[in-house]
Amino acid sequence: MEYALLYAEGDDPQPYDPAQDDIGAWVDDLEARGVSEYGERLRPEVDATTVRVRGGELLVTDGPFSEAKESIGGFDIIDVADLDEAIEIASRHPAARFARVEVRPFMQWPGAEPGARVVPRDLADRPVRGRRYLLLVISSPTGEADGDGDPEAWVSEMDARGARLFGDVLRPPADATYVRRRDGEVLVADGPFVEAKEWVAGFDLLEVRDLAEAIEVASKHPMARGGVLELRPLWPFDEHGDHVARLEHEVEVRDVRLEPSADEALAALAAAGR
Amino acid sequence: MPNGTPPGPGLPPEVGAALRRAFEGEWARILATLIRVTGDWDVSEEAAAGAFERAAATWPRDGVPRTPGAWLTTTARNLALDRLRRAGVEAGKVRDWLADAEAEGRLSGPPDPADLVADAGEPLQDDRLRLVFTCAHPALPMPSRVALTLRTVGGLETAEIARAFFVAEPAMAQRIVRAKRKIAHAGIPYRVPSPADLPERLNGVLAVLYLIWNEGYLASSGDRLQRLDLAGEAIRLTRLVAGLLPAEEDVRSLLALMLLQHARADARTDERGDLVALEDQDRSAWQADELAEGLALLETLPATPAPRSPYRIQAEIQGVHARAADAAATDWPAIARWYDELHTVSPSPFVELNRAIARGLAHGPERGLHDLRELERTGRLAGYHLLPAALADLHRRAGEPGAAAAQYARAIALAPTAPERRYLERRLAALVD
Repeated sequence: MEYALLYAEGDDPQPYDPAQDDIGAWVDDLEARGVSEYGERLRPEVDATTVRVRGGELLVTDGPFSEAKESIGGFDIIDVADLDEAIEIASRHPAARFARVEVRPFMQWPGAEPGARVVPRDLADRPVRGRRYLLLVISSPTGEADGDGDPEAWVSEMDARGARLFGDVLRPPADATYVRRRDGEVLVADGPFVEAKEWVAGFDLLEVRDLAEAIEVASKHPMARGGVLELRPLWPFDEHGDHVARLEHEVEVRDVRLEPSADEALAALAAAGR
Repeated sequence: MPNGTPPGPGLPPEVGAALRRAFEGEWARILATLIRVTGDWDVSEEAAAGAFERAAATWPRDGVPRTPGAWLTTTARNLALDRLRRAGVEAGKVRDWLADAEAEGRLSGPPDPADLVADAGEPLQDDRLRLVFTCAHPALPMPSRVALTLRTVGGLETAEIARAFFVAEPAMAQRIVRAKRKIAHAGIPYRVPSPADLPERLNGVLAVLYLIWNEGYLASSGDRLQRLDLAGEAIRLTRLVAGLLPAEEDVRSLLALMLLQHARADARTDERGDLVALEDQDRSAWQADELAEGLALLETLPATPAPRSPYRIQAEIQGVHARAADAAATDWPAIARWYDELHTVSPSPFVELNRAIARGLAHGPERGLHDLRELERTGRLAGYHLLPAALADLHRRAGEPGAAAAQYARAIALAPTAPERRYLERRLAALVD
């Protein structure tokens, strides 16, 4: 069974301790077990770009969609036997120590091909042709009722264009499980019984030329009208030695927006005539 | 009335009794096994309930079968098969299931002690344990865990559970449906946790049982002080889990705790349903069999070094009360020491309150009053009626009726149930006499 692990700032964030950050060993273990489909770290929310379409007008803003949504710092997609195995894996991720891990099952579609996976098996072998963005699809009551359409046509179009690498819909938050580790003890909690107004309903991984194209792709998603879309650039681990050195290097760019501003991106979009 | 056991008006008493026995002994086993082999909770529940309904219809005519459990199991299996076939489940899957079930011999026979044999890798293979651990999975909200455990393991009807928890029936039904959906959608496994996870997950199971117990033993609201149906259900379920996990100290401790408290149930209220304090209870009205069973369970507990688990400590405290021939003979210093230990493993203002009372009775009212005043100063029990009630009682014992009366008045104003209010009013009145 496939799960998305979302690394989110929980309600009791702990001080980050580099000595406790054994993300390398965690990844190695996942690889060795053959349960990992894909995983990425995301640039902080300062680099988020929010895309909405309201009344036919494209609204793009710098920064995250702020209303009561957790900040997601990264994600993994795993394929394991059951929820207990997913919890066990989630509980050993450093994010479980410093924040919390949200374990979300994917929507299981009736009539899906047996053995079908969220992430194509050959993805790792494909050359990277552009910039990759995670497109978070956020369900929000502020959207237009008629915008909640079937994204099937969007998926076909973006797959054909090569702009979408994979993606899927998540089960609602009530089916989520939250995992934390405090003082060595694994704490497992149920998802919210009463659903929040806004929640991450799914995500897609885009591969595009630049932020302008990512915005254009996002704006065509039906949930741009029915909810909110948030674009997040990836933040690959770089070559700055161990994680302590990496932390020192990254601290300078952590709170800085490296992406073009929404205005610049919109201007680029207009100039390209898209 | 438990699910599927309606000894209706026309049912001969011996058939009703046989049905009830079969229900108590077989419901959880039949349902748990059906869920394992079909993977479908709803089909399994309907089939299990259907088997008991069919028994109620045919046993009066044909007589009670020689092995009622096997009869019910076979009937439930056939009903489940029919349901699956009608729902269009592939014939192949149904055939596989039948072959598996028959090869394992689980579905066709009476209770099989081999179920309890430990296997490599997994501690115990009994299907009822799978059911218990799945219903109490930490990914489910606590109210859902309680409801699902009562519904599936206990076989209670949704309406009964709704009444017991003062929840509207449709809301309770929804809670159970959502829990079952989450089990399917979130991939909650139907199995006994791995040895590494077992202690933690067992704690989750015990928390569910303890919650059912507490809800039944001391109603959190309403006019009835005790709801014996729920307390009895908690004992039945805990007895089941204790039987399935005989090596677990905490399960036996919890069962002992429940039995020793339940033994006093009849003496705990008077004929008007009002509360009778422990020291005023007629000890001859305590249930001798439950006391004996509870005390015998305590004897079986290992000599674990302190600090022991909260269940163990609370059971030991009940044991001290149960062993006292009368209220005056109660070993209060021993109880005060147990509360010291409880405070180290599970500190809470409620433990401090009980410890203060025990110290007051062990070492003189002044000692207890001192602790209670300290506790009151922290403000952590503000609004809780038992704090002024304890102050009142110790002032009374200290020969300070004025101070006692003032605290009783505070306690009466805060008491959440009518019986507790009446009890405090009587204590206040007795002060004046």
